[in-house]
This record gives sequence, structure tokens and C-alpha cells, in this order.
Amino acid sequence: MYRYDQFDAQIVNDRVDQFRSQVDRRLSGDILEDEFKPLRLQNGVYLQLHAYMLRVAIPYGQLDSAKMRKLGVIARDFDRGYGHMTTRQNIQFNWVALKDIPDVLEQLAEVELHAIQTSGNCIRNTTSDHFAGATKDEIMDPRPWCEIIRQWSTFHPEFAFLPRKFKIAVTAAEHDRAAIRVHDIGLHMRKRGDQVGFEVHVGGGQGRTPVIATMVNEFVPEAELLDYLEAIMRVYNRFGRRDNKYKARIKILVTETGAEEFTRLVQEEYAAQHDAEKIDLPQAEIDRIHAYFAPPAFADKPATSDAFERAKAADSKFATWAGVNLHPHKVDGYTSVTISLKPIGGLAGDATDSQMMVMAHLAETYGFDDIRVTHAQNVVLPHIALDDLYDVYRELDAAGMSTANESLITDMIVCPGLDYCNLANARSIPVGQEIQKVFADGDYERDIGKLHINISGCINACGHHHVGHIGILGVDRKGEEFYQISLGGRADEKARVGDIMGKALKFDEVPGAVKTIVDTYRGLRTNSDEKFIDTLERVGHEPFKEAIYAAD
Amino acid sequence: MTSVRPKLKPETPKAITAWRTASGQNVWMTADGGWSEDPADLGAFTGDAAETALADAKTQEREITDPYFMEVTEDGKIAGRETLRESIRANGPTIPYGVII
Repeated sequence: MYRYDQFDAQIVNDRVDQFRSQVDRRLSGDILEDEFKPLRLQNGVYLQLHAYMLRVAIPYGQLDSAKMRKLGVIARDFDRGYGHMTTRQNIQFNWVALKDIPDVLEQLAEVELHAIQTSGNCIRNTTSDHFAGATKDEIMDPRPWCEIIRQWSTFHPEFAFLPRKFKIAVTAAEHDRAAIRVHDIGLHMRKRGDQVGFEVHVGGGQGRTPVIATMVNEFVPEAELLDYLEAIMRVYNRFGRRDNKYKARIKILVTETGAEEFTRLVQEEYAAQHDAEKIDLPQAEIDRIHAYFAPPAFADKPATSDAFERAKAADSKFATWAGVNLHPHKVDGYTSVTISLKPIGGLAGDATDSQMMVMAHLAETYGFDDIRVTHAQNVVLPHIALDDLYDVYRELDAAGMSTANESLITDMIVCPGLDYCNLANARSIPVGQEIQKVFADGDYERDIGKLHINISGCINACGHHHVGHIGILGVDRKGEEFYQISLGGRADEKARVGDIMGKALKFDEVPGAVKTIVDTYRGLRTNSDEKFIDTLERVGHEPFKEAIYAAD
Repeated sequence: MTSVRPKLKPETPKAITAWRTASGQNVWMTADGGWSEDPADLGAFTGDAAETALADAKTQEREITDPYFMEVTEDGKIAGRETLRESIRANGPTIPYGVII
């Protein structure tokens, strides 16, 4: 876990005081909304459909019990008893009064959290693999470099007013769980012999113009990473379009410039950096930050657990959950637990204040005080001993957090949509709930296997619909909600933008269409091990399209 | 980015809605120019009276934020192509929230 030094603490506290003064001036009428809006946005405060919304940064999704408890306290004391996990591994509060936000920020600062750079045209929260530091399939822990990027990008004066917002993601596992290829910059950690470096992808993104990132460099050694990132940012800052916000993201610059020319510009900028400009990151500093992420003191355990096996034999519901929501850990006798925030008929990504307290307690008691928020809007306890798993499960079950659906069809990414969002054209949450009901039978759902449905309520694509195996986009047609279905998107190392299937469907038609797609897959798959996305890529989209629109 | 607000013709009945600055609570202008947190209290305005009311609302931007026109019927029911959005704004999210399933 990162730690604030005295400068970090001072700068965050000063920022709270500054914002308190700005809020006071807004409430007294000294400044009005036009002047206040950019100030509040720099502090993560949006004005949404019903109320102010406060977005709190969770660096690369990592929390400890104290931070999670504080989020629960804020949900309880300043909101309506819940918070919403976002696809940037952050949390949003939907009902906070502006007059209270300085107090909220002051409380967040007590546990080293803030809302800085969660809005505006700056570098946003760096995201990462939610299993970082725990998963068997990573070549190293990417979090120290996420933290180095966070420290470099926070309050970086040169990048405070970019043409548009800017998102960076880092992964160190071959299987990309951080969706790095749909980020402005995606970093895939690689090793060449003993040397650590980064495969650099630039210009990915979703929104109204979805683009898969271009690889601009196969291997940037770690000592050069920040200089290389600065070169990219400078090219973007200089040539990125500021005349049209819909064309201002770096993906448009890369597309319009051409990948080859863009890469050349970056190399040229990098080569032109004077020695005095180089970020001379001392090895001692790199080592200090790596030390924050030292593995916890795991006990020496066998790979299997008698207690775990006995509990599975005795409790079939637990056995089912354990078959779905666990991820292999790099240390024998441990596992990573996904706490699904997608109960059938619930609100995707929401956790109540009491649930936050339960998660904090479990992390503190059983999980080396480590908690992650995932970009798929769930929560992970990355280090749980198999011996303790049944105890953890029972507490989760008692708190309504034992849904066994991680990466299954009911584990959807869903944006807040028109129920909360000022930008949305259509509702997302109820569509997701209706689809969940179709697949509520666990045996049916598990037979379908891994399948990602992503739902957005408008073209801004906060629900990542472009990269859902099945993507659903809400659109407005003369005041009525319609939903466009796309197929074949994916956010992993084979990232791809989905293809729109045909005319948009009415709200009530969507669950049936999804069932038709799924049943078509079940009829076409070679065997039950062939995943939906693999069948789709093998047979093409036509059979699915024909099935959806058969009645037309 | 902000949502697109449709232009309404002068003769179209319209109400004025905004957010209370301190709380973020949604409010609607009443027929006598006050503000209510209950959409049932909204006033319907047309023509110059509507423009005058909106101009008046904009002078009150200490107490309220970002006032705008929304389409209503003559008797003050939410109407037009933004009906769903404005209904959700008036009545809250269409799904239960803050509950454990």
C-alpha cells in the first residue's frame, strides 16, 4: 500500500482548505456556477441528475480496512447509505450535499484518500490488474510502477490542462485484466533477461470513437519510463486537438497522424530531451516505493486445505461459489476472492455502508488488510488462506455478498445510466437487472460459462459496451429508450471493438435478444469448454444476427 | 460535457427547474416565482412570461444552480421528448437503491 510522506499529507490538506474556501465563496454568492464548475470538477465534484456526485480516487483500486471503513462512514453519514464502484476502480457517492463536501474531503484525507484528478482534462487514476501482487500469472507486481506514475502525474503542472482527460493502465500478467488496450496509454510489463520494461500502447479508448491502442514501443526500460511517458504527453499536449472536444482525445491524434508518424514524433521528442530535463528517478526512491508493496507475511502452507475441502463437501452452495469466485494465488494455500457486487436484481457495483464495514473487517481479519476494487465493479480480497475461506464466505453470505457469478453473464459492467447520470440517454441498471433475471438459474449460467455483458446508457461508453462480448448501448429515439446490441468486443490482450448487430431494440426486447444470442451459442459451441467469445470468433457473427432478427 | 437541452418554442408550456446550490436537491419554480422541492408545485409558463421567469431564475444563482426550461403541459405535467429524463429527475431513480438484495 502506498504511504503519504509529509509533503503528500500537507498538499492534500491544503487542497481541502482551498476547496472549503471555494465552496464558501460559492455558497455566499461571491462566485457563481460558471466560475465554480471548473473548481469543483478539479475536486471530483459533478452535478448529476439528482444531486452532486463525489468521485473519490482509489489508486489502482487498492484499499485497506481503514480506507474502506471511512468510505462506509461517508456513505452512512453524508450519502444515502451506499457507494458505487466505478470502471476506473474508484468509488462515487451519489447524494452528497455541496456544503458537506469539504468535511468529506477532510475525513478522506485522514485515511490518505482524496478526489483530486478524478475529473477534468488531466491524468486520471492509474488503473491496474485487481489481482496484482497475488496472481500466479504475473511476471511481477505492477503496483509500484502504478504508484510511481501516480506520484509523477499528480499535480504535474505541464499536464494539468490537456486537450482532454487522460487514462493510463498497467498490467504485468499475460492475460490482460486491466483493459490496457482501450486506454490512452496502456503499459504491459515485460522482462528481457533480467531487465524490466514496458510494452507501450497509445491511443486506445472508447466513447463515441472506439479505438484499440497502437503499440508504439516494444520495450521501454523501467529507468526510462517516465521520460518516455513525458515524451508522449508532450506530443499530445502540442498536437492534440483543442478545437473540438469530440476529437481531442489522444486516440484521434494517433489515428489522424498515423501510427508510424506518431511514433516518430514521440521518438523525436524523447531524443530531444536534454539531460537536465530527464527525470532522474533514484534507485533508492524506486526501492522505497517497491518496499510499500512487499508481499505480506504468508504462512508456509500446503497447496490444499483439509478445512476447505471439508467445507465444500458439507456446503454445496459454498462449493459452487468457490468454483466461480476464486482466482489462483502465487503462494500455496492462498487464493484471491472476488466479492461480487452483482446480486441478481441488484445494482451493479453498489455496496451499502454496512457491506463496506464487512469487507473491511474481512480484509483486516483474514486478508492482510488488502482490498481491491476491480474495473468490472466488484471487490477483491487478494490474499485469503484456503483454511479461512469458509469463514470469509459465511460472513459474505450473511451480508448479501456471496453471489457466485464472477465473469459469468450476470456479472455485468453497468454504468449508472439515466437513473443517475446527467449525460445518459437511456437507463442501464434496469436493463441489466432484467437480463440477470433471465439467467438467474445458476446451473444455466454456469453452463454458459465466461461471458461479459457491458451496458452503457450513452455513447460516452462508461459501461464499456464497445468491449463487451455482448455490448448494449442505450440510445434515445424521440424520447424513447432503445438499445443497440453489439457482439465480439473484448478488453483483454486480444482487445477488439464489437460489431453492431442491427437495428436497436426496445427495452422489453433486450433480455429476450440476449437469451437468443446465448442459446445460439450453446447450439453452436463444439463442447461446453468452448467459451462464448471463442465460438463467436470461430463461426462469425452472422448466425447470431440471423437469430436476433429472425422475426423481422 | 453536458446533456443536450432541446429548444422549446415560445408557445410551448414550460417549467423552470434547477438544483439547490448548497444541497444539490432538485427544485422547480412555482407559479409565483418561488422554489419548491416538490415537482407537483411547479408553475407552467409560456411566451415572454417564461423568458422573464428564466431570466429571474438566473439572477438567483447563489441559491440555485443552472436553471433551465423543461417542457410541461398547460396543467404542469411533464411532457415532450425529455419526459423520461425529467420524470426520473422529479421522482428519483427507477430502481430501489441502498438496499441489500
